[in-house]
Amino acid sequence: MSRRVPFALFVLCLSAGCSTHATRLVEVRTAYFDGDVAGARAKIETSLKKHPREADVLKLDQATVFLSDDKPREAEKLLREVRDRFDHLEQKSLAEGALAMLTDDQALAYAGEDYEKVLVRAFLALSNLMSDGQDAEAFALQVGEKQRQIVESGKAPDGKNPKESYKLVPVGAYLHAALREQTHVNYDDAARSLEQVCQWAPDCRQARQDLERVRGGHHSARGNGVLYVFTLVGRGPYKEERAEIPTQAALLIADRILSMTAKHSLPPTVAPVKVPRVVVPANEVQSVRVAVDGRGWGQTETVTDVGRLATEQADALMPYVIARAVARRVVKKGTVYTVKEALPSQAGGAVMEIGLDIAGVVWEATEAADTRCWGLLPEKIQVLRVELPAGEHQLALEPVGVHGGAQGPAQTATVRVEDGRNAYVLAGFPTGRLAGKVVCGQGR
Amino acid sequence: MNRRQFLTRSGTVLLGGAGLALGGCRSNPQAQVLTNQNDMVGTRAAGAETFKPLIEGAVGNLLARQGHGVQQAGLNVPQAGKRICFVGIENKSAEDLGDSKEQLREIIDTRINQSGAFLAISPKFVQAGLRETRLKADDLFLPANRRTFLAIMEQQGQPFDYLLFATLTSGTTQGNGEHQRDYLLTMELVDIQSGQADKESATIRKGYYDRHVSKWMHK
Repeated sequence: MSRRVPFALFVLCLSAGCSTHATRLVEVRTAYFDGDVAGARAKIETSLKKHPREADVLKLDQATVFLSDDKPREAEKLLREVRDRFDHLEQKSLAEGALAMLTDDQALAYAGEDYEKVLVRAFLALSNLMSDGQDAEAFALQVGEKQRQIVESGKAPDGKNPKESYKLVPVGAYLHAALREQTHVNYDDAARSLEQVCQWAPDCRQARQDLERVRGGHHSARGNGVLYVFTLVGRGPYKEERAEIPTQAALLIADRILSMTAKHSLPPTVAPVKVPRVVVPANEVQSVRVAVDGRGWGQTETVTDVGRLATEQADALMPYVIARAVARRVVKKGTVYTVKEALPSQAGGAVMEIGLDIAGVVWEATEAADTRCWGLLPEKIQVLRVELPAGEHQLALEPVGVHGGAQGPAQTATVRVEDGRNAYVLAGFPTGRLAGKVVCGQGR
Repeated sequence: MNRRQFLTRSGTVLLGGAGLALGGCRSNPQAQVLTNQNDMVGTRAAGAETFKPLIEGAVGNLLARQGHGVQQAGLNVPQAGKRICFVGIENKSAEDLGDSKEQLREIIDTRINQSGAFLAISPKFVQAGLRETRLKADDLFLPANRRTFLAIMEQQGQPFDYLLFATLTSGTTQGNGEHQRDYLLTMELVDIQSGQADKESATIRKGYYDRHVSKWMHK
């Protein structure tokens, strides 16, 4: 019996992850950002077969690829599926939690980061607009509703709410305003939503202009319609594994976790622990220049800074993430100690003790940070509103850098604008190269 | 470790594991069709419990009064034929209506058609007319704009006798860890020929409490 204990510990430590989602994501990101949509899709499909525990985040990536490839219905189907699953996984599973304490956070079913839960609804609204647009308004409303729910649910037992500092996602409110203005009846709703956008994204001039118009003007002049150009700009956030020294705040939280679950106290010194860190790469593309029928209309403006959103949310929750890793470390050390105590003191006990120490070290070393994430998000979601005479128009989209210099060739598409209505275009420029196609939708 | 110790520890581990597995399972979301008369009460904002009686009060009274007047003037001739163009609800309250607004509009439309004295023009025609003229609801208070809009609606085969506007407003009184919000729905019926307006309002007061104690104290 006693000889099996180190072996059991060894197996347990092997069950903790050695390779992480981050390493597997590199290939997918590289293919997609190079404009190889088919290659990215194939890699995602392969990963889906091999790593079912990462299925939800891989489906989010797959949806992004579908959307870029002008397959909005397929994208919507996947996004709906993941949205519902994330909602279900918001409930905690004690069994999974206990297993994660013995292995690492990869043992938990991934319920999505808060920004992912909100953005999945924003992408649902965009996908739906690119097809029939029947549900776009509902999805746009869900963006705001989910944000409120997340912030309200963030209250810790000590009364503090780290989620109160969250930056909110304005793109849902912006889409809601665009859809309500198009009814020509609900300018009040449009104004209300745009006020939120201006509050959450104060640098967005486009939103300020829109607010001014819905308060005192009209959707468009008679005979004109409106084209909304949405662009997904830059390579977005992803997670990397980092070794972090626990901060004082994290140690306090870890102490609370331990005292809640057992009568352990926190050891005075704790070595660095592995945690996921959100990384946003430096992007050369900052915006997209829009020209219609040869005439320049300006550049798309940021309505949601996804990179900043992800980083700030991760920073707000980092003490809690580190605390969980510290608590896990203590539980593992405690387990090894308890096993040693249970062993009979007889000849060969010293060897057994060394064996247990080695197993304990391996157990801790094989622990990996949970780097699962939606890996193909853009750094920014941008928009430009253009009022055009009803009819067909030639659209040209050119990715530009900080100083307005072209970062890649202009991409063209034909768009149809109807009198008094909205038309929508979506294009992804993670780099100077277009990812997939320029997608056109009429909405409702 | 003797056999008794082994059995005790194994039992604890097994029972603990089973407890974790059973107690820690995620449950599926639950829902049910509400069959009783009472609507759920919104704890952060107004919902069905507020809007339904507001509509019943404001729209019901306005149509009853107007319908009665119309019938008297028409010497008891059945008046199902006076057509109302319901322009929409303007939300000036402190809360956003979210998905409720379109539903409120539909309820008001249905209420008009059930009145027996009036018929509501389909919202789709109203929307198309406003899109065609690029007029906002407020613009229709000017006689010239009203005539332009009426002309477009007539072209669509949808002439009307009255314009109906709805406005939702709110007033908030802050207390200590609680607040009272008064919701007011105002319906304004404008005779397209004479320009005369008739108004009717309904109000509901609602208290929002941060703590159960506050709610209990106000009972």
